[in-house]
Amino acid sequence: MYGGGNTFEISQKDKSIQEDPEQLAAFEARIARGEKIEPTDWMPALYRKQLIRMIEQHGHSEIIGALPEGTWITRAPGFKRKLALMAKVQDEVGHAQLLYSAAETLGKPREQMINDLINGKSKYSNIFNYPAFTWADSCFISWLVDAGAIVNQLANSRGSYGPYCRALERICAEESFHLKYGHHCVIHMATGSAKQRQMMQEAIDRWWAPMMHFFGPSDKISTHTQVLMKWKVKMASNDDCRNQFLDMYVPKIWELGLTIPDPNLRKNDETGKWEYTEPDWEEFKRVINGDGPCNKERLAVRRVAEERGRWVRQALLKPQTKYVTPLA
Amino acid sequence: MKSLDPRVNRLNLPDNWSSELEKEELDQLATYEVFVQPKEGKPYQHEGIVHASNEDMAFVFAKEQFSRRNTCTGLWVCATQNVMVSELTEAGKSVYEDVSDQNTSQSNGNDKFEVFHLLKRGKQHIHMGRVEAANYDEALIHAKAAFSEGKPALNVWIVKSGHIFHSTLEDVVIWHTLPEKKFRDAIAYKAMDKIKKFKEEQAAS
Amino acid sequence: MTEIALKELLYKIADDQLILGHRNSEWTGLGPLLEEDIAFSSMAQDKVGQSHAFYAILHELGESEPDTIAFMRNADQFHNCQLVELPNGEYDFSLIRHFLFDHAELIRFQMLAESSYEPLSLLAKKLQGEVRYHVMHANTWIKQLGSATDESIKRLQGSLDFALPYALGIFELSPHESSLIDNKIFAGEDALKARWLESIEKVISETQLNLPDATVASPVLGGRTGLHTEHLQPLVEEMSEVFKIDPSADW
Repeated sequence: MYGGGNTFEISQKDKSIQEDPEQLAAFEARIARGEKIEPTDWMPALYRKQLIRMIEQHGHSEIIGALPEGTWITRAPGFKRKLALMAKVQDEVGHAQLLYSAAETLGKPREQMINDLINGKSKYSNIFNYPAFTWADSCFISWLVDAGAIVNQLANSRGSYGPYCRALERICAEESFHLKYGHHCVIHMATGSAKQRQMMQEAIDRWWAPMMHFFGPSDKISTHTQVLMKWKVKMASNDDCRNQFLDMYVPKIWELGLTIPDPNLRKNDETGKWEYTEPDWEEFKRVINGDGPCNKERLAVRRVAEERGRWVRQALLKPQTKYVTPLA
Repeated sequence: MKSLDPRVNRLNLPDNWSSELEKEELDQLATYEVFVQPKEGKPYQHEGIVHASNEDMAFVFAKEQFSRRNTCTGLWVCATQNVMVSELTEAGKSVYEDVSDQNTSQSNGNDKFEVFHLLKRGKQHIHMGRVEAANYDEALIHAKAAFSEGKPALNVWIVKSGHIFHSTLEDVVIWHTLPEKKFRDAIAYKAMDKIKKFKEEQAAS
Repeated sequence: MTEIALKELLYKIADDQLILGHRNSEWTGLGPLLEEDIAFSSMAQDKVGQSHAFYAILHELGESEPDTIAFMRNADQFHNCQLVELPNGEYDFSLIRHFLFDHAELIRFQMLAESSYEPLSLLAKKLQGEVRYHVMHANTWIKQLGSATDESIKRLQGSLDFALPYALGIFELSPHESSLIDNKIFAGEDALKARWLESIEKVISETQLNLPDATVASPVLGGRTGLHTEHLQPLVEEMSEVFKIDPSADW
């Protein structure tokens, strides 16, 4: 699961790198005609760098994303939910593996990526810095956060880098069960007992603001990244994704008799776009830079898992097998 | 640090660490390329990699990472370092255009090699078949003779058959209950009638 | 009465699987290596799914619905062996428990495939593939870690020494052993234990680990009759926490 919107600051140094004009032209022509770039192709340094960053952060989002939902694995009510949640969270871990593998083809070893996550150098989707207080919170995440991630993933799956596209195809296929499962849970909560309905409504009230942050800052205040759109690294604007999400899911929330805590939320029938209270982008910045309710815990869990697993990995290392960059 | 997750509380997370996490280079495991046969009779296709210490472990990992959905009738793993990779061509050209034709005087090739083709950028490598040759270069020549008809190969992988660790006939049973795990299918989560009933109740009240 | 004997057998198998599957699911997202996290979680799902299948047979025999059996009983009503309810500890303990338990499970299913009680023999045959993979996985890990570094060998040996007496509790004799054996429902815990010892010894002998002498070890008994460690009640409470908010609700 990944929200995008927080990766694309291009430094002055990056901008000033001179690439071979002939190679660059051929590279851009390939992308323009819709052909995928594969690991052994020539590629600009900036392309490689931004892709590593983006794919790596997507991977981090999956492994961290496993934690708020994972909160409820041992307490899932009934066999059906227990099995489904175990499978769903497992998929998140599996997606992290697929994404790290895709980023590895660009030359960065996975253990380095994990290191950067734990040390705070790499970011992950901000929404996972919030706590899943109740079972209903896990239902919200399973449905609507996944829905948001799918909007992003579908857009990115049309991107230019082969290994990332292949990983996303696999991920999108698995996400279809996630989305249906999440929606199924929310439907049952909303149409169930008074207690269930109330739990679900409270979860929506808690999670709506983070969900509006999910697609990243408004295009108005985002840095413009023409070259990344040209190179099909960034595939859709934050606002477009947000609007698509609202269009698909707000009606589905409302039809269950649930309310959304934004009195300004409505679809403008003339423009076809959704209007809403402008999210608090200062809050977004604050949380993503470490000051959210769960940032410390999320990274602490990853660090402890890593440290406790160290003796295991040490016991797996074989001096005679060399690590080489994965192929595809 | 207290968490909402009882599992996390059992980890007894410290509130602080005195230093950043340091990882030694050595922690990085080697990778193994994974090939899956989705159905009996279909060719094996490349799915991705697993990090592992040896073929046995790569196999048990690959089985869960790459065949926990859909059907699977066979699984191959081989160390990434054992895959010989040809150039990646431009403009739909076949790799074999620059490979010499097979000499009519047969070699004394006694090694077996598996050949994989990439038919389109963005897609997965597909197993074409097996050739016998003395070495990789010869294997590429024999592969041209055997497999260059049909869609052009934009990239060719060649692996010694002996380097591939594969599932056995007895292993096929491990995928036996896969189709029954309905709780991972989107189709098991239909709830339209619940929504309908709810709307009717709302309308009535 | 063979039905009582049969139900007791089914309950203990199902309870073992549910509790162990639940314990193993606690590792999801927290494993030592991504690929292993994924594999361990699959096996946990298999176990929970298997328990459901066994509870379903019990339901056919007049017991409550699987959800009710699993989520509404108290600890002293569970018939799992104490081995499976112990906390996960570090990965060495979880791996050793997985190894010891799954070798027994595979053989138990092979024996049950011959059962005169058809629903049981059919289910046991169907599940053999899953448990074959579980044993394959366990063996791969024990062989690897059991000969790798000083630390991995020391850890595994320590866990093996600690776990073996608990593992012997898997084979705690039922008061209905002879009924099960005479009616060919199940060939009995003693037969299972003998085959199990051979099976695990074979794998351990390929490592630098030593299997403690099972004839000398004191088996930790009681689980089969509802006597449990202090760990089971909190586990059961956690597992049923949301379900019990409203047991009649459709979640």
